[in-house]
Amino acid sequence: MGQMIAKRLIMLFFVAFGVTLIIFFLSHIIPGDPARMLVGQRASEQTLQQVRHQLGLDQPVWVQYFTYVKGLFAGDLGISIRTQQPVAQDLFVFFPATIELALLAFLFALIVGIPLGVLSAVKKDTGWDHGARVFSIAGVSTPVFWSGLVMILVFYGYLGWFPSTGRLDMDIAPPARITGLYLLDSLLTGNWAAFKNSLWHLFIPAVTLSYAQLAIITRQVRASMLEVLGQEYIRTALANGISGPFLLLRYALRNALIPTITVVGLSFGSLLGGAVVTETIFAWPGMGKYVVDSISYLDFPAIMGFTLIISIGYALINLIVDLAYYVLDPQIKA
Amino acid sequence: MKSRVFELICILVLILALTACSGKSAQSGATNQAAPSTTDNTAGTTSGAKDSLVVAMTADEGTLDPAVTMDNAAWKITYPTYERLVEYDGATTEVKPGLAKDWKVSPDGKTWTFTLNEGHKFADGTAVDAEAVKFTFDRILKIAKGPVDVFGVIQEVKAPDAKTVVFTLKNNFPPFLSTLAANYGGIVSPKVKEHEVNGDLGQSYLAEHTMGSGAYQLTEWKKGEYLKLELNPNASVKPALKTVYYKIIADPSAQRLQLEKGDIDIAEGIPVEQLGGVSALPNVQIVQQPSLFVDIAYINSSKGNPALKDPKVRQAISYAVDYKAIADSVQQGYATQMRGPIPQGLWGHNDNAKQYSFDTAKAKSLLAEAGVSNLTLDLVYSDKWPWWETEALTLQSYLGEAGIKLNLKKVAYATQRDMIDKGDFDLCLGVWSPDFADPFMFMNYWFDSSNFGLSGNRAFYKNDQVDGLVRKAASVNDQAERETLYSQAQDIVIDEAPYVLLYQKDYLLPVSKAVKGFLYNPMLEGIYNVAEMSK
Repeated sequence: MGQMIAKRLIMLFFVAFGVTLIIFFLSHIIPGDPARMLVGQRASEQTLQQVRHQLGLDQPVWVQYFTYVKGLFAGDLGISIRTQQPVAQDLFVFFPATIELALLAFLFALIVGIPLGVLSAVKKDTGWDHGARVFSIAGVSTPVFWSGLVMILVFYGYLGWFPSTGRLDMDIAPPARITGLYLLDSLLTGNWAAFKNSLWHLFIPAVTLSYAQLAIITRQVRASMLEVLGQEYIRTALANGISGPFLLLRYALRNALIPTITVVGLSFGSLLGGAVVTETIFAWPGMGKYVVDSISYLDFPAIMGFTLIISIGYALINLIVDLAYYVLDPQIKA
Repeated sequence: MKSRVFELICILVLILALTACSGKSAQSGATNQAAPSTTDNTAGTTSGAKDSLVVAMTADEGTLDPAVTMDNAAWKITYPTYERLVEYDGATTEVKPGLAKDWKVSPDGKTWTFTLNEGHKFADGTAVDAEAVKFTFDRILKIAKGPVDVFGVIQEVKAPDAKTVVFTLKNNFPPFLSTLAANYGGIVSPKVKEHEVNGDLGQSYLAEHTMGSGAYQLTEWKKGEYLKLELNPNASVKPALKTVYYKIIADPSAQRLQLEKGDIDIAEGIPVEQLGGVSALPNVQIVQQPSLFVDIAYINSSKGNPALKDPKVRQAISYAVDYKAIADSVQQGYATQMRGPIPQGLWGHNDNAKQYSFDTAKAKSLLAEAGVSNLTLDLVYSDKWPWWETEALTLQSYLGEAGIKLNLKKVAYATQRDMIDKGDFDLCLGVWSPDFADPFMFMNYWFDSSNFGLSGNRAFYKNDQVDGLVRKAASVNDQAERETLYSQAQDIVIDEAPYVLLYQKDYLLPVSKAVKGFLYNPMLEGIYNVAEMSK
């Protein structure tokens, strides 16, 4: 297993390299000039050239790329053109907010999606099954910007139970930074006020985001469960008098989860990337909002940094998925 | 029996799962009730409190360094945190004393001498003296980013004594005084040198901190969430608002709800189509004033379709448009047709200038006179402004009636800027607003043929006589004389029609009725005179 992890990590390095290459050259094909954004559109040619020079944008693209990659090895993601701060530092600020939102949404999706899928399979073609289908399909086909607004309208506007935007109330100090995840940090430091407040802020964005992923998980669990339930060994087990729920959880669900994991892994990846819309609606200070602002500013270093982090995230999730296979079914070889 | 138990377990699992969610919901709801202090506090210290103001803006700030930023969103923060030698006076575009109590200009216009007021201090406690002023301008020139374009005219700054600052200009530049009142004229504490990294003159530090002598200072910036201003303890003024929050809420509906519930006091991001609903809210008023923000179409007069070289064709385009209908359809009527290139509210505006009216027959006959038929033109625009789509379609329909076929080319904003810079269009939608209060911002930028491209003359218009007039107007100090010269130039360019002068937008801002003392200055759009406001 150690060997497999090592191999995969080396692969990851090449993936990251490929990603930098593609994104770097793609983003330099886009017409437009980040120096122009910085100096304002009425700037004279001379100032423009000067700033281009300062930012190294007057170098040939491959030289710029080489400089960038050289920086990467030193852990330097470059300086953001828009914020004038190191990109690594900016992402360090925004990344935990996105992760926290995605993780909680993921948790919600699992907690609701797996039982719902099991229920659908066991109660195939009954009202339960149809109800679960309608519920989950509604989630995947409702655009997040709409369901998010409805959530805000109901829970903030009418009921007043939850705040509509932000990570914490403006007068509550965030917990001391350990991981950057407010929930975790406030638990670790015993800061209950911050814990409650951040959970209270996280709730509707996370539910909104998870609802969009629910259908995928529910449908996958249902399909795999049906397949497993129809197999010989389940019938044998039944014949041997192993009772329903035990059989269901110990044998059927365990086996049904193996194909589900791939889908779940991908679903977490898309939660990360798909958080952009959710972050906009709920004014959630995550990477999504950061990268959208960066794109409109043609802030190459920031766009690159974001893409790199996300692609490495995807690759790591894939690795975790494979490891999970391994744990669930040792027969699968790396 | 077995299947019964099994069913039961399934249902239990499902219920458990659901309560895991709603349990949190109940818990959070309970939090809300059990700890009312938390929520009431929020309301108490933010919008509800008499001494604090919450402004909702749509995007986070980039750099706040006055020597770097050319993004007027940054003004929101820098204007109340820095002071300038001169300031815009109330709601007018005239300047009044700021850090400087008076000033003199030499007859040749090249030497400006300012005498500083006493008693102004930076938030860090240092006094604002002539050295600080000199340091600020030297810093801008050394950093050489955006603002250097405006202040590049400065040859040298001297500080003969603590109260006197002398600027020597390379050439006479009458708008100089007005430029000092703009954002980049904000005087920075020389202590910023302590925060220098790799010789950046403190750029990285000032990108996210303020070091000015304004009534406020930036005390907290939660990236992506909000910026918080608190009082500068050393300022001579004592504003009523002790705290100002600038909260980032991109979504207009979320802004509207929070405004309705009193969680924010000013909502910047509500589009004009939704203002009707907002004005019906009992706790909200809508500030409406004419702005200096204009919406125009560039007619590419030298690099576009050859037919556009003929002024008659350009006039025909200007006659083909129903100005009132456009203002109504894209701005819900909250806009006024322009009269000449200098908008109403800025000195130099000519209230008697010729205005094109909607006259399709005249447009057709002008086209016939020019000998042009079956003219097909490309109109370039982007999604930068939400109303451009409708505006483009409306123009297409009106020009169509006059016999000009308009192809709509919608491109990305970055691409549009690039195309404007290269002159790669026939017609193109554009907006403009002045950085400083001088007709120079319109006449010299738009019409001087040395400014071809994105930097100003986006119609690629060249007329030697106009060049002469606007250049002369930019080199004499007498305002009356400048006004005459600009007026002459205006008559020519209106007649030659290199731009379709569509409309100047109204400034519309939903503000809580609790807020008092907000003064709108067209030069300071999106900037609040927080030091004079109260609740």
